[in-house]
Amino acid sequence: MDAAASRPAVVIDNGTGYTKMGFAGNVEPCFILPTVVAVNESFANQSRNSVKGSNWQAQHSAGVMADLDFFIGDEAIARSRSSTTYNLSYPIRHGQVEDWDAMERFWQQCIFNYLRCDPEDHYFLFTESPLTAPESREYTGEIMFETFNVPGLYIAVQPVLALAAGYTTSKCEMTGVVVDVGDGATHVVPVADGYVIGSSIKSIPIAGKDVTLFIQQLMRERGEHVPPEDSFEIARKVKEMYCYTCSDIVKEYNKHDREPSKYIKQWRGTKPKTGAPYSCDIGYERFLGPEIFFNPEIYNSDFSTPLPAIIDKCIQSSPIDTRRALYKNIVLSGGSTMFKDFNRRLQRDLKKIVDARVIASDARLGGELKSQPVEVNVVSHPIQRFAVWFGGSVLASTPEFYAACHTKAEYEEYGASICRTNPVFKGMC
Amino acid sequence: MILLQSPSRFLLQTLSNRVQNLEKGVELDCNSVEFDDVRYHIQVSMRYPQFVLLSMSLPTPPPETVFIGGLPYGAIDAIKAAYGVLVQILDPPRDGFNLTMKFNLSKLPPDEEQRQAILVKIASVREVVLGAPIRLILKHLASRTVAPNVDRLVALVHRPMESFFLVPQAEKVTVVLPMRFKDSIDTVLATSFLQEFVAARRTTGLNNAPPCSWSPSPPLELKGAPAQALSVNAGFVTFVIFPRHVEGKKLDRTVWSLSTFRAYVSYHVKCSEGFMHTRMRRRVESLILALDRAKPDVEKSRKAANSRSFKRLSLKGNPG
Repeated sequence: MDAAASRPAVVIDNGTGYTKMGFAGNVEPCFILPTVVAVNESFANQSRNSVKGSNWQAQHSAGVMADLDFFIGDEAIARSRSSTTYNLSYPIRHGQVEDWDAMERFWQQCIFNYLRCDPEDHYFLFTESPLTAPESREYTGEIMFETFNVPGLYIAVQPVLALAAGYTTSKCEMTGVVVDVGDGATHVVPVADGYVIGSSIKSIPIAGKDVTLFIQQLMRERGEHVPPEDSFEIARKVKEMYCYTCSDIVKEYNKHDREPSKYIKQWRGTKPKTGAPYSCDIGYERFLGPEIFFNPEIYNSDFSTPLPAIIDKCIQSSPIDTRRALYKNIVLSGGSTMFKDFNRRLQRDLKKIVDARVIASDARLGGELKSQPVEVNVVSHPIQRFAVWFGGSVLASTPEFYAACHTKAEYEEYGASICRTNPVFKGMC
Repeated sequence: MILLQSPSRFLLQTLSNRVQNLEKGVELDCNSVEFDDVRYHIQVSMRYPQFVLLSMSLPTPPPETVFIGGLPYGAIDAIKAAYGVLVQILDPPRDGFNLTMKFNLSKLPPDEEQRQAILVKIASVREVVLGAPIRLILKHLASRTVAPNVDRLVALVHRPMESFFLVPQAEKVTVVLPMRFKDSIDTVLATSFLQEFVAARRTTGLNNAPPCSWSPSPPLELKGAPAQALSVNAGFVTFVIFPRHVEGKKLDRTVWSLSTFRAYVSYHVKCSEGFMHTRMRRRVESLILALDRAKPDVEKSRKAANSRSFKRLSLKGNPG
């Protein structure tokens, strides 16, 4: 075993909204940053346009500056707000890496500026969405082995890690449905014994960002005095701080109307341009935001299948011998499942669908055969927000992890294609 | 980011978090590893939320360096001088670590700015501990004396089983850093980076910077150093530090830059590789674009030909 294996592995979970990074064996990630890079484009364009220029030194230093003049995470957002020279670029869209240059820069800062570790000293565990193309894994492998010289790399599938996160709190259970609602993508992924059932993955076009957009739209339509340049950020904060899942919309409307003082919250802030203070009300959007998962037609007229129905469809399309186990272990992961009582609402709605089907089949059979009741269980745990990261941390601290990694030597022998497959290893089940 | 910063982001974030929620008891037990194998372990218990236990493990020293009780020379005094009443050094340290300190956060100054400054100072514990011996020597340089009882050649650890060397004199201190890299590409890039670095020093505007030079063979100052310390693959970098470089506030920055120079070079080597990859990707994209531009015409013409032949077949007639 080489020296790098004696140090904790670095676990980086790149999500569309936030990146979670830290060392294996810890309970919490060291840093949670928005996945965004602010690049100073003015330098880059200059050096490209005037390639034939005479002042090579100025050009040279401009190139060097452009190379290093960028920020990531919260710093990037602050920079782009305070000056116009920085452009924000979001390297990941809908769970897939779109801009590899920005992604490489993002990783570079993650490693050297935030975690401050030497990439040659640590094994790395990255995560990817279940729908990622193998080419993208090759790209990741190429960047990690060529640029950063990592000694070993493992690219895990996010839902499998989310399942693994649950396995320390209760028992080791690697069969279940992972409902991963991130900022940019929502996937319902059935996993049997650590293997993703690829043909049954369902995705819906509603994710955390849509909740934010919907809240923004509701507040705009009600005419709240929110500065337009900040309205998205405020909607995001409202979502994170005040939203909850209700059991019934009509009752919830009544409750709000009866006691507005109890339910309607105030938001205070200052306008970024003038510095003048303002305040606005937060009302029905508190429960209407998360409601788009259960009644999507209020947000999007093209898509109207609620999340519980999608989960049911997903399990029904899985192999028949796994279905009971899948109903029994429905795991939530991702920041957008953090709304209060989200798991209870999901369990209730899903149970309704399943029970209706059981009754129908009993009626069809005419009472001769009684089917066993199906147990529906939606699991929620306190680390849901970074369940994927935590699962990665758990798995990367097992000794089997180092054997399952692709090593630098293998990469040099066979090339980037080795990163296409990442074996499920013993620690997982 | 051009220079590596002295305070560790991780420690600073954890400490600020702690200070903001001091009355809330939170269990905290976290490990972190920095470049050159410096490890931190930070622990807060539910019962005493105001105490933070910070353990630190240092890179394994090579035989030529002086370590007293597992710490570099003068480290204990440096810690006491830097943190005063805030800190208590626990003996023996936590298992597997060189040093364990107990910080009492309830003794932090009430003033917001001072408190932040202290937190930054605690987060820079690496500079305080590992930089202690070099700081001692440079302090003597500032007063133009040579510290008593130092050798002609002082070896200080900066990476596991690797050290760099100082030659203290009354008027100047010569710092020699042997450079080693694991990967062959890194070695080549680092060598040319260092040559450029030395060349850049000669440009106007940097006249006051410490003179530096690079050589592939050990410089004369290293006579008497052990042989294994002289086997390198990216040459030796020599800086000559004069008293004007360690005046007042410059001292801290000089100490930090010298003791982490290897990490600085390694960071920039990685950045250059990243930059080259960006360029290579852009080139590949432009070539693919050129290929694509050539392709559709071929397909279109073939399709046209196909459709005509298909038509001819189906109509069973002669065109013309």
